Amino acid sequence: MTFAKPVIATALLSCLVVTLTACSGSEPESKDGTVTLVFRQFDPESEVRGLATVVDAWNRDNPRVQVEMQTLSPNNVQQFAREANAGTGPDINQIGYSDVEFLATPRILLPLDEHLSKDPLPEGTKEGLLATDMVTFEGKTWAMPWTADTMALVYNPKALSAAGVKDPPATWEQLAADARQISSSSAGKTSGFCFPASGSATSAGWFAINYYLWAHGGTLVRKDSAGNWQTGATPQQLAAAIQFFTDLFASGAVPKANQAVQDYSDPTISNGLATGSCAMTYQPPATFAALREKAEQAGTALTTAPMPSGLTDGATHLGGRALGINRNTEHPAEAWSFVKYLMSATTFKTYDQYPASAETLEDLPVPEAQQGYVEQLPHSRSFARYIGSEMTIASMQQLVNQRCSAVYSGQQTSAQAAADILKGLAEGLKG
Amino acid sequence: MASPRIGQRPYALTTPALIVIAVLFLVPSVYNVVLAFQKLTPYEPVGDAVWVGLKNFASIFTDPEIGSAAFNTAFWLTAVTVAIRLGLGLGLALLLQSPVLQRWRLRGVARTLVLVPWMVPPVVAVACWKWIFDADTGVLNQFLVDTGLLSEGVPFLAQTSTVWWSVITIIVWRELPFVVVVLMAGLQSIPKEQYEAAAMDSAGRWQSFVHVTLPNLRPVIIVVVLMTVIQTFNNFVYVWLSTGGGPGTYTQVLATQLYSAAFVANSLGEGAAIGIVMTALMAVFALVYLRVTNEREGGRA
Repeated sequence: MTFAKPVIATALLSCLVVTLTACSGSEPESKDGTVTLVFRQFDPESEVRGLATVVDAWNRDNPRVQVEMQTLSPNNVQQFAREANAGTGPDINQIGYSDVEFLATPRILLPLDEHLSKDPLPEGTKEGLLATDMVTFEGKTWAMPWTADTMALVYNPKALSAAGVKDPPATWEQLAADARQISSSSAGKTSGFCFPASGSATSAGWFAINYYLWAHGGTLVRKDSAGNWQTGATPQQLAAAIQFFTDLFASGAVPKANQAVQDYSDPTISNGLATGSCAMTYQPPATFAALREKAEQAGTALTTAPMPSGLTDGATHLGGRALGINRNTEHPAEAWSFVKYLMSATTFKTYDQYPASAETLEDLPVPEAQQGYVEQLPHSRSFARYIGSEMTIASMQQLVNQRCSAVYSGQQTSAQAAADILKGLAEGLKG
Repeated sequence: MASPRIGQRPYALTTPALIVIAVLFLVPSVYNVVLAFQKLTPYEPVGDAVWVGLKNFASIFTDPEIGSAAFNTAFWLTAVTVAIRLGLGLGLALLLQSPVLQRWRLRGVARTLVLVPWMVPPVVAVACWKWIFDADTGVLNQFLVDTGLLSEGVPFLAQTSTVWWSVITIIVWRELPFVVVVLMAGLQSIPKEQYEAAAMDSAGRWQSFVHVTLPNLRPVIIVVVLMTVIQTFNNFVYVWLSTGGGPGTYTQVLATQLYSAAFVANSLGEGAAIGIVMTALMAVFALVYLRVTNEREGGRA
């Protein structure tokens, strides 16, 4: 078997070469000078058909810079960090605002200030960019605000009017009263309000607690004038927020089944809205757009309004996605051109999201049913208010969700839960 | 005396396997130990890790939730589910081996059906069960309400009185086939002559089961228990996907604590430290368990 050794060695070497080639990042420039960029986004396929159209249009108009759109859903920014730290990864990455800091600190992203000064954003895009505080760290711009969203009140006008409720609630207290009235007048057939209230780390019940707290002058954490982080709510404020939602369950205004629901797009909630067994909830725009179609098929008309106190500055959150360029890209100029293109008004003609540029947003034709978002967005404030301490927003979210869930399920009182949350926050802020 | 070429051959043959083991098992394990003494986020390159000594272990043992998570892991997640799986698994294995199924030509169908849950990916299994358990639209609640057993749906995964039993149901449903298959293999290896001898000694079915079946299955049961305990103790998927550790922290287990520390709080070092504690606990369990079972085996011999 004299030939065995060279054959085995060749086979092993081939495997190694194939493996390493497969693991490599963006494709190099081809012989004819065509550059291929990889753009990764994390929204589900069902929500990005319009974005795919935008990318196709770019590829048609830019034959020498082709873009391949990757979908990695749900959002997994740690995967991108692992790839980037290994010298690979997509050239352009869609990033949730609250994740930009994680990628900026270890310099995984390319600072964009040089591109911004040499090849600035066009008029009409750069004006009034929202959420810039979520992408700027240590004086540098690490990503570009791309889309903007918030949670608006999604409601069924028929269910409200059937219970004698004329307008959507403008305050949280009004919401509680309306929700109780809807539930009781329908003998429990229609729940007044539905929201995800599970104790899991990513439960969207977190938004309701924060919105209530912000509307009543509190905040979970705040940075003092000396730059030190501390808790920002009194035990009474926090306990009142938790008790508010606990009472909604106790009064039957919110179905107990919601205590096992983690996401605002969970079928328990979306089916309830679509079939009329739930009158009000809160959702971001992309989820609402999909829900509205489903509800129309079921014969239910849904619309939006600002959240309770949603027109008060800072009483709701400003979320959305940013676009960052991988520091490993071999084509930063081309990647920047593509980022500029994605930020332009053209994108939002087919992409079902709101632009982070206030001017582009103003010019965007928005369906009547989505006016709640448009009215509320200028008053929403980003989660930058929680960023920069030793404690991650995800940890705060987990802590708050767990303790609220413990109260909803009868394991704790709201006062005990509030004390636990404040203690956990204080410890977390110390690091 | 063997020639030098033949003398080196065993080393040459085992070297590739040793390299694979070192790369895939030893290196990650050693790195996990190193990581447990460092501070590093999932976003930083390995070179940015900062040495923090025993701080990660200190924060685990001062965490007020760790005690209940350890109890939940040992009792609810592991002991209860392994005991139920063993009992049900033995019953099902005996049923599948029974001559009745053979006579009715149902043995093949029954064996295939038992394997179905095992073919379902755990994530899909949990998603289905969450739907079944839903208080409003779940089929279980609809059945219970329609038949008048309940006046309204119960949020099985959201109340403390039902949540653990719901999680246990999911785990047992998905993981039972493994126990059944292994025990069935054990049953098939028991010589028929032993049953015939027992029958000649006027042993009834129960006596045959106690004095022939169980002693012969003993080595298989020992291995099944060891494997299922270790696999379940480290399991993360069922609890995380079905309850997220809730309501509150009522179903939090060590594996979900590990995930939260590493990927929610971004403290890889603390996650690695929890992993080491879990490994140590399982190592102690395996040593004690094997020692006790071996001693009994020796005593019997």
